This record gives sequence, C-alpha cells and structure tokens, in this order.
Amino acid sequence: MATKFETQNQDRGKVISSTRGIKSSTLIDLYYSMLRIRRVQEALIDEYHPADEMRCPVHFCVGQEAPPVGTCLHLEKGDYVFSGHRSHGYYLGKSGSLQGLFAELYGKSTGTNNGKAGHQEISDENVNFYSGTILVGMLAIAAGAALGFQMRGEKKVAVTIFGDGGADQGIVYESLNFAALKKLPMLFICENNGYSTYSRQEKRQGLCDLSGRARAFGVRARRLDGNDVVSVYRAAGQAIARARRGEGPTLLELDTYRWCGHVGPENDDHLEYRSSEELQEWMDRCPIVALEAALQDKHILGSALMADMEHRISEEIAGAFEFAKSSPFPRPDALLTDVFAERDWNDVVPVREYPETDYDYSQPESIPGPY
Amino acid sequence: MTEPKNLNFAEAIQQGLHQALSLSDDVFVFGQIVDNISGVFHTTTGLSDEFTNDRVFDTPVAESAMTGVALGAALVGMRPVLIHQRLDFMLYSMDQIVNWGALWRYKSGGKSGVPFTIRAVVGKGWGQGPQHSKSLQSWFAHVPGLKVAMPSTPYDAKGLLMSSIFGEDPTIIIEGRPLFTMSGIVPQEPYRVPFGKGVIRRSGKDVTVVALGYMVPLAMKSADILAEQGIYAEVIDPRTVAPLDEEIILQSVRKTGRLVIVDPAWKSFGVSAEIGAMVSEQAYSSLKGPIQRVAFPDGHAPTSVALEQLYYPDENHITKAVLASLQPEG
Repeated sequence: MATKFETQNQDRGKVISSTRGIKSSTLIDLYYSMLRIRRVQEALIDEYHPADEMRCPVHFCVGQEAPPVGTCLHLEKGDYVFSGHRSHGYYLGKSGSLQGLFAELYGKSTGTNNGKAGHQEISDENVNFYSGTILVGMLAIAAGAALGFQMRGEKKVAVTIFGDGGADQGIVYESLNFAALKKLPMLFICENNGYSTYSRQEKRQGLCDLSGRARAFGVRARRLDGNDVVSVYRAAGQAIARARRGEGPTLLELDTYRWCGHVGPENDDHLEYRSSEELQEWMDRCPIVALEAALQDKHILGSALMADMEHRISEEIAGAFEFAKSSPFPRPDALLTDVFAERDWNDVVPVREYPETDYDYSQPESIPGPY
Repeated sequence: MTEPKNLNFAEAIQQGLHQALSLSDDVFVFGQIVDNISGVFHTTTGLSDEFTNDRVFDTPVAESAMTGVALGAALVGMRPVLIHQRLDFMLYSMDQIVNWGALWRYKSGGKSGVPFTIRAVVGKGWGQGPQHSKSLQSWFAHVPGLKVAMPSTPYDAKGLLMSSIFGEDPTIIIEGRPLFTMSGIVPQEPYRVPFGKGVIRRSGKDVTVVALGYMVPLAMKSADILAEQGIYAEVIDPRTVAPLDEEIILQSVRKTGRLVIVDPAWKSFGVSAEIGAMVSEQAYSSLKGPIQRVAFPDGHAPTSVALEQLYYPDENHITKAVLASLQPEG
C-alpha cells in the first residue's frame, strides 16, 4: 500500500523522550494502533476520489495518531469517549467497528449509525464512543456522563477531546468548572494543532495557554508533546487512574499537527494559511516513525513483525471496504425512523386516564411578586 | 390507593418530583437554586433536604453546560430533570437542545437516546418584561425529536412531568407562572399522562376553541360568557404541543365547523399557525368560516402595567374572537 506521507530528515528517536518502564508488549500495542489508524486514513484518502462513494465530509487525523492511542490503551469498554470531528483515531482506539465505520462513510444501512450520521457524528454504542461536530458541545455531555458514573458509584471515566479551535468556546470553561466543582472522573484532551480550520491560534487567543486556562478553573493540567506517544501514554494513564480514584478531572494539552487539509482528502495548502516548511517540520516528527525508531533501537520491532502488522491491517481494511461496498443503502422508510423512541413509556409509573374533576376555572391567576 | 387531594400547580409538580425521586435512584433534579427554601416557586420545596444534595442540587449559572450535563447523564442511564426559573435563560442552551439532544437518537441510528426533562417556567405580569416572559413552545415543537408539554391543571402538571421523566425522549415542559397557585384534584399515587392526547374541557356544538397552558382557564371563562348568550364552545386542551393530538381537534371541528386557537405566545409563526394550517389541510370542507387566533401581539412584553394590560389577551378577547368566527362568510 502506498504511503502518501513521506518524512525526510526525521529526528529519529528524539520525539520519544523515554520508553523506560513501559512493557515491550505495550510499546508494540502503541505502535500497532497508530500504524493501523494511519493505514486506515491513507486507504480512505486513496479511495475517496474519484469514486465519490463516501459522500460525506471527513476530517482525517493523519499526523495526530499519538493522542488517541496513548489515551485509549488505558480505557475499559465501560469508559466513554466523546470526540469532536477529527474522530477516527479515537473511534478506532476505543475499538469501534472498522466495518461499521467504513459502511457508515458509504452511507449504508450496515453503518454503525445505520447510515444516518456519516463521518461527522459517528458513534459506536457497543464501545461507548460518541462524536459530533458542533465544537465542544461534547465536553458538557461528557461531564454529564461522568456525573452519572459518580452518582452510581461506578469507577468509569469519561474522556473528551477538543482542539485549540474549540478552546475558544465558552462551554469549555463551563464544563471545566463543573468538572472541578464536582471532581468528576474525566480526562479532557486538548489536541493543540495550532489551527482552527485556517485560523492560527495566535490570531484568536489573547494568551495562548490552554492548560493554564484549565488550571484557572481548578482542573489539574499538563502540556506535552502530543507526538510522543509514550509521554501521552504515561500522562493519560496517571490522569485516568486519578479519575478512577475519585480525585477529579485532568486536562492534557497535547501539541500535535494535522498533515491533511482541515477536511477532505485534498491538501488545502493552496489556501496559504500555513507554510510548507512548517508542515514538513512536523512530518519529520511523525509519531509513528519516531516510535518505530525507538523500538528498533530496542530490537523489539523487526522487519518481520512490521510486515506481519502491515499484512494484518491491509487485510482488515480490504475486508472493511468489501463489506461497505456490498452493503445495502438504507431503505426509503428509514427516512423518518428514530426521530423519537418507538416505545415512549416503561413500566415504572402506570398510565392513568384523565378523571372527571371539578376543576374551578374561575380561580384567579397568580401574579408574581418582584421575583 | 389513597384519596386524591386538592393541590395547586406548584405543589403537584413538587409531589411529582418527590415521587419520581423515590421511584428510581436514577432520577435527579438540578438547576439554579433548586435547593433553596424558595423552591423555584415552591416546586422543589424540601427535596434537597430529603434526597440530599447528591440528587437535588444547585448548579453554576451555566445553562448551556448544564443542559449538556443533562444529556450526558441521560445517555448513561440517569433520568435528569433540569429546571430553569425562566424560559428566557434556557436560550443559552439552544445548541445543546437543538444540535445535540433533539437529533441524538436519529443520528445514532436509533441505538442510543438522551431522555432528559427540562422544566421551563414562563413569567407573566408584574413587569416581568421582555427578557422574563418569553414562551417558545413553537420553537421547540418545530424541531424534530423534541417533545413539548404545556400543562394547564395540577393533574396534568404532575402526570406530564412523570411521563417526561420516565419516558424515552428529550422533553421540555413549559409551565406558565399564572397557574402556580391554582388548585385542582390530584391523585396521590404516581401516575402518567400520555403525550399526544388532548382533553375536552368542555363540550359544545357551536365553535371549537383550542387553548394552551394558562389560556385554558381564560377560554373556560369565555365559554361561560358565551353560554349566557346561547353560544356553546367546545374547549379543547391539547396538553402537549409536540406531539399534538390532531385527531381530537379535527373531530371537534368536523362537528362545529368553527375554530378559534388561543396560544400564550406571539401570534405570528407559532403554534396557532400550525394548528390552523393542520385543520385547513385535514378538515377544510368542515370549516364554515375562517379560523380565528388569539395570541400576544407581535411585539415584546412591556413592563409598564398600563401597556401590560393591553398586551395579554383575556377571556374578553377570546369571546370576541369566537363571535368573529361565527360571522357569516363574505
């Protein structure tokens, strides 16, 4: 499979600060998961045009594989992840169905959202992964999920992701405040890739210190190199463990970079909002190549293992395309289904019919006082 | 089964919340100062004492995030009730309601839902003014995926509240403050009132009057005035705006041929227009004359008492509209 994204002069080994104390099997898992995300993104990008059968906007996460992988490896099935629009890394990190993802992009009834959502609101309830595109609306919803876990005494965690763009919205601060106030079992991941669509962070923020903002609301926060998957893994592990122990929320600001255009498989550099030098600098810090170098130096990632990984991933991807392309579209009668629940009642409280009463309609209205 | 009691609208809501909290640990009640002894116009009195601040709690002044919290909690199986002292304030949360809550079930392909309840109180009078009086049932009813209730009696207030809390869809209950001290018979055990099922408050053969919320008592007063003149109005209370009990309205119009719609909101682009259009589509041949509407003028609620009295329609406006509806055509 062609690799679209060539790195040159990569800082081999310098991105990964240290692998000390991490099990080899974990390092291999981190590598495999990032590689899988990358290959899935590449395959979708290759297939998108001119076939034009995935007829929905897709926000690819090439270059940003480390945050989802470093975080999700700590999560149990019962934990919830609430992502924004650049969701595939977290979807796959949470073990969302690959076939369900592909079929959903193709708008098929076998998609994980029955063809009703496409990429932009993709979810997989089997693994408790949800996403949506209204910027950072998810943060408050994640807080609600965390509150639910807390009220039920469950040791589950709600993880939610946003970017430096979403960080401009007020609801972020309402959610951070509430999470701190209630010591909610949450992890806020801020993927700072420096841009909201075509707008640099410095153009939008008077003080570019997102982790500082979280601290101002009482949420413990750290800023890390978001391309160092091992650092992300360590920090996320600590934060998730804290949350499970009832010690409250954490925010991790992860510096990373988006390689593709904001949306779609095309490159959008003709819009001239960022320099090709900047992009190349970050491509040279590829999270996957960096870990590959570190693991090869430790002699735990040989070419045979890598070839086996590529083969497995490629088979999986081929199977997912086959599934998606051969699946049916939703039937016409699916147009108006699922707007409301089919059953709008349960057996907790009986339905009574309206009784005859002598309601006195001549009663005076209440007039409010000053309040 | 104990004897039903006379409770006022606020007490009925308080009882509904109390019983819901007792029936299931998944229910919780939150909103600004719901734990204060003032009890959101006496609708939450005593709840935080009995159920502790874990389940009945005050929130930051952050309507948008709190609505998101209701959504997220509902997603994981809780049954939250979020209370806004004034409907106007909940407009901060339109994104969460419209962009997330209303379409959650649809975009999940029916695989997950967010059954939260929002109680929104609408002010009227004493100079509440334009930022403390808006009633936006038409906005919420317009969005697919939201249910909207407007109870007019204590019985319905408690029953619709319980239907919302234990139902499976996001619901907004609009409560008109003028109703809060008005009393009626309320069964003391838990019960639900179904959505989409209106009630005939008073039978009549001459004209159908559909009224919502606190306009229902005014429509009934108008019906008394009309009866003295030998005109018998059939007063229908849909109780819920979304879903709307179309059949009860259509059956009545097929009988009377005349329709007056009384909606406590701005006249244009609202529920009265929807009901009028629906009846024109489905019972046109039964109509003997044009449909009449009684609603607020298309302006903002004034604070000066002199203007306020002109702004809000009463039973006399309804009576006039009924008489207009009975004029021969042409």
